[in-house]
Amino acid sequence: MIERSEPAPLYHRRADTSLVASAPFGPDTTPLVIEGLRVVYGERLAVDRLSLTVQPGEIYGLLGSNGAGKSSTIKVIVGLVRPAGGRVRVFGHDAVAESLAVKERVGYVPETSLLYEALTPREFLEFVASVRRLDRKSASDRARNYATAFRLEGEFEEPIASLSNGTRQKVLLIAALLHQPPLLVLDEPLNSLDPRSVRIMKDLLARYVATSGRGVLFSTHTMEVAQQLCHRVGILDRGVLRGEGTIALLRERAATGDASLEELFLRLTREDEGLEAAVRALEGT
Amino acid sequence: MRMGWREAWRLTDVAFLELSLQAIYASRQGNLPPPIPPSEVARTARGRVVQSKAIVATVLALLVAGACLLIKAAPRIVATPFFGVPVSIPVFEAGVLTGLLTLEVAFLWWTGLQVLPTFLASAVLPVLEPLPIDERTLSRVAGLLYLRLFDIPALTVLVVTPLFLALTLGPAYGLAILPGAVAAVAFALALGLLTGRFFVRRAQGSRGGGGHTVVRWAYLVLWVLPAFAMFALIVVAPGFLALIAVTTSHGPSVGVDLLAASFPFSLAALPGAVTSGGGVFGLDGTGSAVLALASLGYVVLAAGSMIWLLGAVRRVGLAPPLVPVGAPATRFDLVPQAPARAVLTKDMRIASRMPGYAFLVILPILDAVALGLFTFLSGPAGSTTTFGLALAAVSTAALLATFFGPAFFATEVIAYAYGRTLPLTDRSILLGKVALVAAIYLVAGALVLGLTLLRVFQPGIFVAFVLAELPAVLAASFLELGILFRRARAKGLPIVNLYSGAWYAVLVSIPGVIVAGAPLVAFQAVGRSGDVAGLTAMAIFAVLELAVFAPFALGPGGA
Repeated sequence: MIERSEPAPLYHRRADTSLVASAPFGPDTTPLVIEGLRVVYGERLAVDRLSLTVQPGEIYGLLGSNGAGKSSTIKVIVGLVRPAGGRVRVFGHDAVAESLAVKERVGYVPETSLLYEALTPREFLEFVASVRRLDRKSASDRARNYATAFRLEGEFEEPIASLSNGTRQKVLLIAALLHQPPLLVLDEPLNSLDPRSVRIMKDLLARYVATSGRGVLFSTHTMEVAQQLCHRVGILDRGVLRGEGTIALLRERAATGDASLEELFLRLTREDEGLEAAVRALEGT
Repeated sequence: MRMGWREAWRLTDVAFLELSLQAIYASRQGNLPPPIPPSEVARTARGRVVQSKAIVATVLALLVAGACLLIKAAPRIVATPFFGVPVSIPVFEAGVLTGLLTLEVAFLWWTGLQVLPTFLASAVLPVLEPLPIDERTLSRVAGLLYLRLFDIPALTVLVVTPLFLALTLGPAYGLAILPGAVAAVAFALALGLLTGRFFVRRAQGSRGGGGHTVVRWAYLVLWVLPAFAMFALIVVAPGFLALIAVTTSHGPSVGVDLLAASFPFSLAALPGAVTSGGGVFGLDGTGSAVLALASLGYVVLAAGSMIWLLGAVRRVGLAPPLVPVGAPATRFDLVPQAPARAVLTKDMRIASRMPGYAFLVILPILDAVALGLFTFLSGPAGSTTTFGLALAAVSTAALLATFFGPAFFATEVIAYAYGRTLPLTDRSILLGKVALVAAIYLVAGALVLGLTLLRVFQPGIFVAFVLAELPAVLAASFLELGILFRRARAKGLPIVNLYSGAWYAVLVSIPGVIVAGAPLVAFQAVGRSGDVAGLTAMAIFAVLELAVFAPFALGPGGA
């Protein structure tokens, strides 16, 4: 059973995953399984023997400081980086050997909104819909619904080059959701979004995983969002998973009483060491 | 903070390295970092930019060498009249130099059109803008940055043109062409920026939708048209020379004075006028004064262009796309296509807002129109010439489309990091690119033959030629793109990184052009025994090529 960490759920909660056991998304029903993943850039080890699982109906938050290895992990899932070791499987499909099958099942929002600047959002989404072989009605209906929700109507025919970062992020979110993928992989998806859109996204993600068998991997360093939204979190530090589970479980393990996720994070990554001194030093500047 | 030229140059050093990185690796456009050690990245980018500039400079040097060889052979060439018009040696020399200066302007301008979008996309100037640097220094940095994009090619024009001419006709001649070379460089750089500014304001910010797309392509055609002069000039050079000869042969007249005042003839005729007097061009005292004043005026204009350039680069570099005012009619209707066709549509849409790519589409088509117009104006001929006209038309369309084909691979560099996360197969990408090349060939072929049909109504022959060559164009594209894909696999590199080596882009076009040209050669070889037999041989040859090269590209090891 998936249990949301806390506080009291803002959104619809999936209480029972037994209904999703037969979802036909691949040879396996588990949205994401990462086993012993290693990512190396030149001589730098970015991810070291990382193992985690995103269960059906689960939003899994991958937390970490800058350079912790979150984006590297995500890039392996979506086929942008080849792992130096380990395995990544999406509904049983291997991310390296069956990358096309994986890409068909994943909706991805990158951390930077580097898009086809010369296209308009409509032209870009039309390209994505074509590559994903969507039918005209579904693609158009979804594009209309999401664009209206994100208040994108006025910018739908403007070149992406002329759009703000937040608007580009909305376009990327729509592109990721257009084919209603069983696994959403979101790399800092709420960056640059206005409060209204953040609220919509939170609500949407909570409802999204409530539909049979879907999962969400969500990377962020905004603790508040993770605390509100994620069923479980994994804390990544310099490529190593320092802790994983519900926030209650992590508190228990770290013996931190009712500490906030931020405090837990700092404790587990040992980034609280010297924190006071650093703040005092800044005050003196 | 007020800075001098030295500080501006030092800042340019840093900014140009970033510009080189973006030009080669395009990370700001969404490309992935290259799979080489980080310490090598800057050095490789800098090296490849120098390599690209050296290629442009070599072409320019070859143009000068070719002009000098023509001038050297002038006595033999002018022995035969041009279109029945006798041409004197000084007029021939001035004509050749007019052509050379035009080509230098056009080629540098064309280079500017290719690099300006990269310059803008690199966002080097927006990074510098918030720093505490005074406006004048920023303008200087921007101007110097732009000039450094052209340094080796521009120096080649400024040094090689006078040097080669001095070696061919003497030092006075070499010295007298120097104002022409200076003006050619200054005008080309200024025109590149002016047209770039026009592009930024009108095309890049244009909305989506059918009507806007048509207007955008019309802008792009207008914008590219002058750079097309170099190709048009090659086609019409003999007729142009005859026109100059006719104008100058009747002695002093308003026509000669107008010619003396026109660019680049005035500067091209200056060496002849300085060494032999204006009389060799039919100029009297007034005409010679016009020539001198016009030459001086163009040099002053060139100096003005350079001063304008130094200030204008910053404004262009920071100008956002000009988005039309008023709420657009929003259309949510998405029309998904087959993936390969979607790649084609995406490339066409990108090209319509990026002049570097638009040029690749428009150039073969414009050249076909020029050839068609030339045929239309020069008049009809007999049956043999009908086959000859069709052959010339198809050759132009096929070879240009094939030569520029691999360049479309480079559109994949845009948003590469995102595009690779979509379930898009290499086969779809390859088929989309091949379809684009085929479409360019067919449009170019249809235009040239459409114009030719107005004078020589032989639709059966013309259509047969276009269709007979089509499999060879497809085969050539499959071969070029197949080589790129295979090499990418062998090296384990993202396909687009291969294209950033300019030498490779040129090399991969060579076998393609050979494949596209082989059936045309087969036609000529067999055609002696009958044109229909030649056409049949051409078609069979083309189909055989397609049967060989399509599996090469799409089969095991390919896409």
